[in-house]
Amino acid sequence: MTAATTDPATTGPTQPPLLSLEGVDVVLGRGWRANHVLSEVDLKIWPGEIVGLVGETGSGKTTLARTVVGLIRPRKGRVTFHGAQISGLGRTARRRERRSGHVQLVFQDPLRSLDPDLTVAQIVGEGLKIRGGLDRAEIERRAASALAKVGLDPTLLHRTPGQISGGQRQRVSIARALAVDPELLFCDEPVSALDASNRNYILRLLGELRDNLGLPIVIISHDLSSLAGIADRVVVLYRGRIVEDGPVAQVFTAPRHPYTALLMASAPSVQHDRPLTVHQLRRTAADPAAPSAAGACVFAARCPFAVDACAVQPALEPVAEAGADRWSAACHRADEWQPLARERAAQAAR
Amino acid sequence: MSGKPPPDEALHIQDLHITVHDGAAVAVRGITLTVGAGEIVGLVGESGSGKTLACRAALGVLPAGCAVSEGTISFGGQDVTDLSRRGWERLYGTAVGAVFQDPASYLNPNLTVGGQLAEVLRVKQRMARADAHRKTVELFAAVGLHDPERVFHQIPAELSGGMLQRVMIAIAISCDPRLLIADEATTALDVTIQAEIIELLKDLRDQRNLAVLFVSHDLALIRELCDRVVVFYAGEAVETGPVEEIIDRPRHPYTQALLRVASVGDFQRRELRVIPGQPPQMGEDVVGCRFAGRCPAAIDACRSGPIDLLRLGPGHQARCVRAGDPELEAAAEAELAAR
Repeated sequence: MTAATTDPATTGPTQPPLLSLEGVDVVLGRGWRANHVLSEVDLKIWPGEIVGLVGETGSGKTTLARTVVGLIRPRKGRVTFHGAQISGLGRTARRRERRSGHVQLVFQDPLRSLDPDLTVAQIVGEGLKIRGGLDRAEIERRAASALAKVGLDPTLLHRTPGQISGGQRQRVSIARALAVDPELLFCDEPVSALDASNRNYILRLLGELRDNLGLPIVIISHDLSSLAGIADRVVVLYRGRIVEDGPVAQVFTAPRHPYTALLMASAPSVQHDRPLTVHQLRRTAADPAAPSAAGACVFAARCPFAVDACAVQPALEPVAEAGADRWSAACHRADEWQPLARERAAQAAR
Repeated sequence: MSGKPPPDEALHIQDLHITVHDGAAVAVRGITLTVGAGEIVGLVGESGSGKTLACRAALGVLPAGCAVSEGTISFGGQDVTDLSRRGWERLYGTAVGAVFQDPASYLNPNLTVGGQLAEVLRVKQRMARADAHRKTVELFAAVGLHDPERVFHQIPAELSGGMLQRVMIAIAISCDPRLLIADEATTALDVTIQAEIIELLKDLRDQRNLAVLFVSHDLALIRELCDRVVVFYAGEAVETGPVEEIIDRPRHPYTQALLRVASVGDFQRRELRVIPGQPPQMGEDVVGCRFAGRCPAAIDACRSGPIDLLRLGPGHQARCVRAGDPELEAAAEAELAAR
């Protein structure tokens, strides 16, 4: 399941992307409360791929997912799905698009996103009921088939979310999304509330859904090493901007953005052989002042390698390397900082 | 393991049993563990394995319906098993401090964080207002908060999750306790912040000789921080030992399974392993090993009677009848080599 996941014939550059975001800006709130959550986000999802979206709290991961399903309207930019623009639709058209169920969200905390008073069967069938056009027997049949796809025992059909375990609840969330036959699944931190065994179980399930149904999946997560086991491509967000986007194997072997490297160095691990330690990637008091003017690189304030050029936000540029396939990073010093990092002390000064 | 615990032990739990649902079921079955001064001990296990209950018993705050039915808990030689509420009040802050998963829910949202720490000092140590302020700013600086004077006057909503957790740690260590209990203290934080909090806990241990009981479901995190680890499974300690030894030579099949599913930091594509089956229900009585139903190496002897902790090396014990079996050892070695 883990090897040879992307088939170039179906995901090659000749194939048009399924979902495409171009220059998307999202501002939440207005007036003095306006908060620029996403800036100039360019993202493409091709059919049949699993994309991992990582970033810290407040980096805009969830806003991105909500923008794609039409819960938030971008201020600028276009969101297109199957070549048709879905951003900036009128009210009725937007509702029709949402009810079509093309893109489905799976939320982080199933205990809060599932109605505690409904049974599993009702939760999974609800989307079909709202969409309409199906009789009760057909809804039940499709709900049962969605539950079978996630490997849930039919004896759980008449339990409520409070009566099943955490791992089972997350599978109900996924079944709920699958019931309406989506073409793209967005999972918002699907495993962060689970322990290691259940986490791997859910991630494997998502991998199987992609393999069996050809369903493209975006997984939002802060756990890089479990993403490495399943995703084909990883997209790193920092303060509303994509700072790196590329194939998992390449990004995690030689990250081009210092923030990606910091995330990798910070991830806990049972083995202790890291190419770079967190101390080599964190700013210290000894580092020269970073550019802090408005419009500076979003990461400059935390970046130990910031220079004067970083006073201007770098654009997402393709990585210049042989064999780099759809790999881009937004860093002025993408090819220069690695030797500098290795020269820094690996341990904290005491 | 028996008799009077030596006084340099910050926490000693002896044969602890905890019942839930007003005594209807036993959730924790005979845990023995010790945290020495300046030592960081990790508790690891699945959700529902009883690690949080054991922790709460050690803090004297078991939820309603739960009770310690057998065993003793002591801090530095003082038995606290049947301590009164007032007795516990005297120990909080001075003998033991605690940090939990969600820092925002333990702070008053309407008061400044500095004021909340200063209040502790004024009540517990009878400090004057100005002294409490000064000590608070010192403590905030000690836990790595930038510009502590400014943070003093901020309310919880103005601080990030990582900063709030630092404030909680500052409150927990404000009266110089010997022991800090951290229950999933970094689970809700971003990885970069988590790494900083882990370092802070290590620094506090080095500077103050603080003992830490660190509860987590993530063996990878335990590996980063702890000196010793106790592996919980379905209310029992199934393996305990120095962390390097447990990671490099796990002897209990459950520990081996946990290691297989833990994060490995090489970011290579790998098969995501799972532990098949479910743990026994809380309170369910199982003859013999409680892991036998999920264990790939289970034999008849595993199900015939109670299984004792087997001593395997210095400080290393496992509750497995096959722990010394050469056949299993060879299989484990082969797996480690492949890792």
